[in-house]
Amino acid sequence: MTDWNTYREIEDLLFREAHLLDERRFHEWLDLFADDAIYILPLRENLQGDVPPAGHPVIKDDRDMLRARVHALHSGHSNAEAPPSMTCHMVANVVVDEVSQGEAAVRSAFMIRQVRKQHDEAWWTGRRHDALRLESGGWKIFRREVLLDGTILPRGIHIFF
Amino acid sequence: MSSNQALHEAVDWRNGRIAAGVNFDEQLYRTERRKVFDRAWLVVGHEQMIPRPGDYVSNYMGEVPVIVVRDSGSQVRVLVNRCPHRGNQICVHDRGKTKGFTCSYHGWSFSLDGTLVGAPMEKALYGRELDKAQWSVERVKNVASFHGLIFASFDPDAPPLEQWLDEDTRWWLENFVLALPLGGLEVLHGFHRNSAKGNWKIVAENFIGDNYHFFAATHHSYFSAVSAFQNAGELIPIVTYPDVARAGVTLRELSCGGNGRATVLGLGLVSIEDDVLHEQDLADAKRLGREAVEWVEYRHRRLSEVLADRPRKPFGFMNGLLFPNLGLMGNYSPMLGRHFHLFHPRGVLEHESWQWTMVEKDAPQSVKDIAVQRVYQGQYMAGLLAPDDIENFERIVDAGRPERSWSRPMNYGLQLDREVEGESGLPGRLGPNPNEMNQRQFYRCWLQMMEAA
Repeated sequence: MTDWNTYREIEDLLFREAHLLDERRFHEWLDLFADDAIYILPLRENLQGDVPPAGHPVIKDDRDMLRARVHALHSGHSNAEAPPSMTCHMVANVVVDEVSQGEAAVRSAFMIRQVRKQHDEAWWTGRRHDALRLESGGWKIFRREVLLDGTILPRGIHIFF
Repeated sequence: MSSNQALHEAVDWRNGRIAAGVNFDEQLYRTERRKVFDRAWLVVGHEQMIPRPGDYVSNYMGEVPVIVVRDSGSQVRVLVNRCPHRGNQICVHDRGKTKGFTCSYHGWSFSLDGTLVGAPMEKALYGRELDKAQWSVERVKNVASFHGLIFASFDPDAPPLEQWLDEDTRWWLENFVLALPLGGLEVLHGFHRNSAKGNWKIVAENFIGDNYHFFAATHHSYFSAVSAFQNAGELIPIVTYPDVARAGVTLRELSCGGNGRATVLGLGLVSIEDDVLHEQDLADAKRLGREAVEWVEYRHRRLSEVLADRPRKPFGFMNGLLFPNLGLMGNYSPMLGRHFHLFHPRGVLEHESWQWTMVEKDAPQSVKDIAVQRVYQGQYMAGLLAPDDIENFERIVDAGRPERSWSRPMNYGLQLDREVEGESGLPGRLGPNPNEMNQRQFYRCWLQMMEAA
């Protein structure tokens, strides 16, 4: 069992992250990631028998690519985000599996409702496997794997999980 | 639009005037299912997706679920995913390897070629009454491969595939889309799928020739992101596209086919004799190492040989569509993988996009890796471009759904009298860029099929 203070620090980070995203403070959100961070969202498929895995993921971003996405969102020209989506990121089931040598393995679940314009919306649910590292400014995410539920996306992705 | 005459008036492709009802009218949608999707040759996959007997992928032909499977004799079959007994699906996986298919309702089982091989308690319940030959899964009648690309058609009177793909279309497919002179392409497994609002034709016509939206409005946030890196003197981490504003660059729109029973192929942003793009490839390759540079130089040389007899030399193209629903993207650089999209109709107001990725097979791994990455970072459902298009489709549906809006013609008149302009001696017709001739050709082909008896 992880000690209570560490658990609370990490859970608090994930809760604060959710608020940053819903408040569209994307630059501050980006600061939660380490310089060598990697953000992966694998393709989910229903497979039978002995077949090769998917040839590429849906998302595999390094920090520069995450910056490019944040640039696009803040450019004032994002068609997909005009007007901005209203989102609520709900994060739950936070479990800190392992803490050693300043690194932590964390699992969490999320449910997001994204509302676009008047009638359009999407529900996104899934789980995240995060790897965190204790740096000078506190815990930073250096690897996030997003296991999004669903084989066919309900719309294009222009939010973060 | 119940009569052919009303439809003919609504789809005045010659004058670039098409009534919005084509994307909203339920009745028309049902006719379209019968006359377009039940008759056309449709792409259902690639042979490399199913290399071994028993390998299969699930797909759709229009709204009909099909299984694309290699049978025990290595023949590619396209089976309607429906048990002949009581109509249940016999396969519920996206892809797999299997010995056969068993229905979950009563357990009838079928071999890889769709033959009924067994029913539980057959002897006790049916005696000798179950004629197995009569109760196989429906096999799609026409299946043909074009250099690995699998086409299927439900139409017993479908023209041969070589007629559906006319000579000009085949030239572009062979030399540019499938890169045969470079050793061909390699499939990356898995369909990348999203659902979206909007009739399938809205996304299809966007792919076949809408290079106006690309620079004019829709994708400004992408261009802003590119400039942010450029202005900071940093390496741009995402895909960049041929620049229409660049001096000394010839960009064209190209259209093939459409005569008789030949389908239409439209290609956009066809770059002609583009040394600038080649230089860009070389600069990318230098960062990847010697092997990459050699590949870029080799393919450039190889392409010049293929085009030796042509007065002008195309370098590549960016977007395209093979009617009715195979979208193409990313064919202008070895550093960008090739997107193949299937736009499946899902009722009159929605569609699904099923995309798979291919890269140049003989390229070194470093080139393949960057090519794949640039696919999913660009015109892709979670990339920096496609979500902006999906947003437009949603708005089009909200604006166009009321019936009173269906009859007013929309404007497809860009460069109407300049259908053919520029280089001769290349297969197909080349027009200026941007230009809406490919959208007009799309509706010409569509109307032809809709008006056929």
